[in-house]
Amino acid sequence: MNAAPVLLEAHDLVKAFRLGTRSVRALGGVSVAVRQGEYVGISGPSGSGKSTLLHILGGLDAQDSGTVSLEGVALDRLTDSALTRLRLLRMGFIFQRFHLLPVLTSLENVELPMAEAGVGRAERQERARELLRYVGLSERADHRATQLSGGEMQRVAIARALANRPALLLADEPTGELDLSTGRQILELFRRMNDDGMTLVVVTHDEHLAREAGRSIHLLDGRIDPVPNAQSPVPAR
Amino acid sequence: MILVAAKNLARHRVRNALAILGIAVAAALLLDMVMLAGGMERSFERMLLSRGYQIRLAPKGTLPFDTEATLPGAAALSARLRADPRVRAAGAVLGGALFTVSGDSLLPLAGLGVEPEGQGLYELDRGADLVPGDTTGIVISATVAAATGWRSGDTVRIISGTDPQIARASSERRLVVRGVVHWLYAARGQRTVGIALPLMRRLNRAAGDRASMIMVKVTRDQDVEPVASDIRRLAPAVEVNSVTTLVARFRTRLTYFRQLSLILGTISLFVGILLVTTLLTITVNERRGEIATLRAIGVSRGGIVRRVLLEGALLTLAGNVIGLLLGLATARYLDGILTSFPGLPAAISFFVPERGAVLRAAAALLVAGSIAGAWPAWRAARAPIAATLREEAT
Repeated sequence: MNAAPVLLEAHDLVKAFRLGTRSVRALGGVSVAVRQGEYVGISGPSGSGKSTLLHILGGLDAQDSGTVSLEGVALDRLTDSALTRLRLLRMGFIFQRFHLLPVLTSLENVELPMAEAGVGRAERQERARELLRYVGLSERADHRATQLSGGEMQRVAIARALANRPALLLADEPTGELDLSTGRQILELFRRMNDDGMTLVVVTHDEHLAREAGRSIHLLDGRIDPVPNAQSPVPAR
Repeated sequence: MILVAAKNLARHRVRNALAILGIAVAAALLLDMVMLAGGMERSFERMLLSRGYQIRLAPKGTLPFDTEATLPGAAALSARLRADPRVRAAGAVLGGALFTVSGDSLLPLAGLGVEPEGQGLYELDRGADLVPGDTTGIVISATVAAATGWRSGDTVRIISGTDPQIARASSERRLVVRGVVHWLYAARGQRTVGIALPLMRRLNRAAGDRASMIMVKVTRDQDVEPVASDIRRLAPAVEVNSVTTLVARFRTRLTYFRQLSLILGTISLFVGILLVTTLLTITVNERRGEIATLRAIGVSRGGIVRRVLLEGALLTLAGNVIGLLLGLATARYLDGILTSFPGLPAAISFFVPERGAVLRAAAALLVAGSIAGAWPAWRAARAPIAATLREEAT
C-alpha cells in the first residue's frame, strides 16, 4: 500500500463538447487520485477522453461537473491568474509537439518559466544549465530550438517543464512525434525523473508505453475501463 | 522581452519589412499633415516677427502690401509714432517700380523706399547698409546681383516713372551699391532693391509724403495690443494690425487647409492602425499553438498581451523612425513646389518641422500602434488553451 499523500485528486469528472448542434461526451464521470511520487500512464484509443482528462487535471480546461484538486487546492475555485500561477509553479507540461519558442536557444527556452516566475537571471541560467545537463543536452544549450532534432526538442521541453521545481509533471503524447528509439529514450528519462521523486501523469495512445508507468489507467469512451485487455491497473508503488 | 519580440518579428523578415514600410508611409503622411496644419501659421508669424516689428499700419484693406494704395502724411505719422516712449522703432515703407538698363533693354526691379533707422524689411548680408539721409545709396538682393553683376561700391543706373506705352524714363539716377541684403518678404527670384525713402519719393514724383506701410517695433517691456489700440485711435483712417491679429486672420483663412490636414492625418493614422492590427492578427493566428503553450506553462494573460503589444510597438517604432526621415524628405520636396508659387514670400514655409509637431506625430502613431495591437493581443490572451492545443495536435 502506498502511504504517500495524495497530490492530485479528481472526482467524478464530466466533460462534453458541442459539435454543431450535437453534444459529445468526452468524460463521463472519471475519478482518479495520484499520490506523490507516482508515475501514472493514461492510455486509451483515440477519442477516449485521455487528453481531455489531462487538460482538466492540469487546469487547462474546465470540467462541466466534478472536482479537481492539487495539493488540496480545488482548481475550479481559483481565478484565472491564480490558476496560471499554480501551473507556473506547481505543474510542468510536456506536449506532443514540444512547442518551444523557435527564436530562443535551448537555454532561453528553459529559462522562460523561471523568468515568468521572477527568478533572477543568474539563478535561472544556472538552473537551466543544470536541467539541460540532467536531460543530456548541456552541449546544445546555445542552439536555437529550430536547430534541434525532435528528441532533443522534447528533452528541452522536459527541462522547461522542470524549471520551477513543479510538484507534478503532465505529459500529453510525449513520444507521439518521435521515432521508436528516441521515444524510448524519453520514457527512460521519465523513469529516471520518477526515480528521483517526480510525480508524473503521462497520456499516450500506446498501451505498451502506458505500461512503462508505475500505474496504468485505461480510458474507453470517457470512462475508466476496469479491465483493459485483461490487464489490471498496476498498483501504485 | 524586447529581445524576444524583436526575434519574433525577425521570423518573417520580408513580411514585417513591408509592414514597417507601410507604417513608415503612414507615419510620413501623418507627420507632413501635422507639419502642414500648423506650419504655415507659425512660419507666417516667424516671418512677420523676423525683425521684431509687431505692428503694421497700412491703408484699409491693402495688407499684406500694395504699392498702389498709400497712406497720406506718412512722415508726420511716423515721427509721431517714434515720439511715443513705448515705441522702440518705426519706419515707413514706399513701394514702387524701378528699372535699370541691361544691354539694350530695361530690367524691371521691385523698389522699396525705407527709413534705415526703422526698417523691418531686410537684413544685411554683405557690404554696407543704407544710412538715414542717404540719397545716393542702394541695397540690392542677391538675385539682383546675380542678374546684373553689380557688386558693393558699383555705381549703377536706376530709372523710374517709366511710361510703359512709350518706354521713356521720367527720372534717372546714378546710385552706389552699398551692400547685398536679404529681403524678408520678397518672393523667390524677385529682383528687389532698396533706397532711402526720400529718394524713393523723389523718383516716384506723385508719391508726395506717402507710404505704402509703416512698421512699428514696441519696446520690450510693453504689451503690443494696448499700443496698437492707441495707434488705431490716433489714426482711425488707417488699418492697424498687430502680428497677433494678422496671424489670427491668417489662421481663419487657413481653416479649410487645417481641416484637410486633419482629415488626411487621421486617415494615415487609421491606415497605420489597420496595418499593425492586420499583421499582428496574422502573427497571432500563426502562433496560436505557441501562445497556448505559453499560457499552459504559466504565462499570464497579461504576459501574453504585453508580448503582442510589444511586437506592435516595435513595428510602429521602426516604421516611425523611417517615416520621420521619409516625412521630412517629402515635406522638403513639397515645400519646394508650393513655395515656388508666384508672389509668395520665399521665407514662408508650408511644412515646418518643429520638434513639438514631430514628437506629437510620433507619439500619436506609437500610441495608435500600441492600441492597434490590443485586439490581437486580447484575442491571443483569451484563446482557450486546451482547445487550441487539441487543434494543434491534430
